[in-house]
Amino acid sequence: MNQNKLLPSLVCGFGAAVLTTVPGVKNFACCLIVPTAAVISINLDHKINRSEFPIKAGQAILFGVMTGVFAALFSTFFDLLITYLTRTNDFIEALPQTEDFIKQYKLDSLLSETMIIFKQMSKDINSYGFSIFYAFAMLVSNLCVNVIFGMIGGITGMSFFNKRKTKI
Amino acid sequence: MHYIPLNNFFSQGIKKHLTRSLTFRLILFISLSCWCMGFLIGSIFPNSVYSIISLPFLKIIYRIVCHQLIEKSFFYNGHYFMVCARCTGIYTGALIISFISLFALHKLSENIKMLSIAAIPMIIDVISTSTGIYSYHKVFALLTGIFFGSAVFAYILAVIENNFVDNSL
Repeated sequence: MNQNKLLPSLVCGFGAAVLTTVPGVKNFACCLIVPTAAVISINLDHKINRSEFPIKAGQAILFGVMTGVFAALFSTFFDLLITYLTRTNDFIEALPQTEDFIKQYKLDSLLSETMIIFKQMSKDINSYGFSIFYAFAMLVSNLCVNVIFGMIGGITGMSFFNKRKTKI
Repeated sequence: MHYIPLNNFFSQGIKKHLTRSLTFRLILFISLSCWCMGFLIGSIFPNSVYSIISLPFLKIIYRIVCHQLIEKSFFYNGHYFMVCARCTGIYTGALIISFISLFALHKLSENIKMLSIAAIPMIIDVISTSTGIYSYHKVFALLTGIFFGSAVFAYILAVIENNFVDNSL
């Protein structure tokens, strides 16, 4: 994939990451942002690179995956930046509630270890605004979810544009 | 040389295709079930320590795809669902159709019109609640979500099967 091929995914992935960070926009579109970005990236590629129709399935999936990867990288960056500036996030806010609930039970060693990791994360974020474990968890979950949703967007976009082209 | 009779060749081909199609649909159904189980885990197993300890991580995962506003989410067994009522509807609709698709192995067509029609009630509901024509109602959001989710899943399944499963025959 050359640089021109990468550009539409980069732009759309960045756009999707910005939109998923803006709370008002997220209320409307939720899970449709990344698939829509993948569809737009396929359209952009055809406008920029004048690629041939019909779009191949492998190419559509690749665009979906790349858009998902860029969206994941940028949204992780934005999330970490906001966490750094505010020194808190949803995870930290939800932790005391989880802790209270867990106190009612006798935990085995594995769960006790997990709670220790959670507390360390919370402590790191409160004092430095950054936790390596939180960053890793965010990146992995963003990558997994966004890549899957990007692929769905990619194959939907392929079908849509191929159909539209055959009608013309 | 060994010849296979033509009718046997076709029946074997169809059988192979149906097996592939069923396997693929089963994988999709299991994946969707796991996804739905994830956002319902707190409500389904409210007293399980494992479910409680996984809640902060699951909250991070589902935050990627939903705003998770508690006033727009269902509450059951002492826990809010991890996604809003509309997203619950979308995923439930997809799960219902994926379950039905296991028993009805018809070849689906990629119908954009059907998808657009299914999106209309949801768009009307979103616009109406946003502009204040009527106030947000979780049940409306759930029902319009189910309608849209089922159409989206049917469309995606058709696209994947027509482009991947059929080509591999």
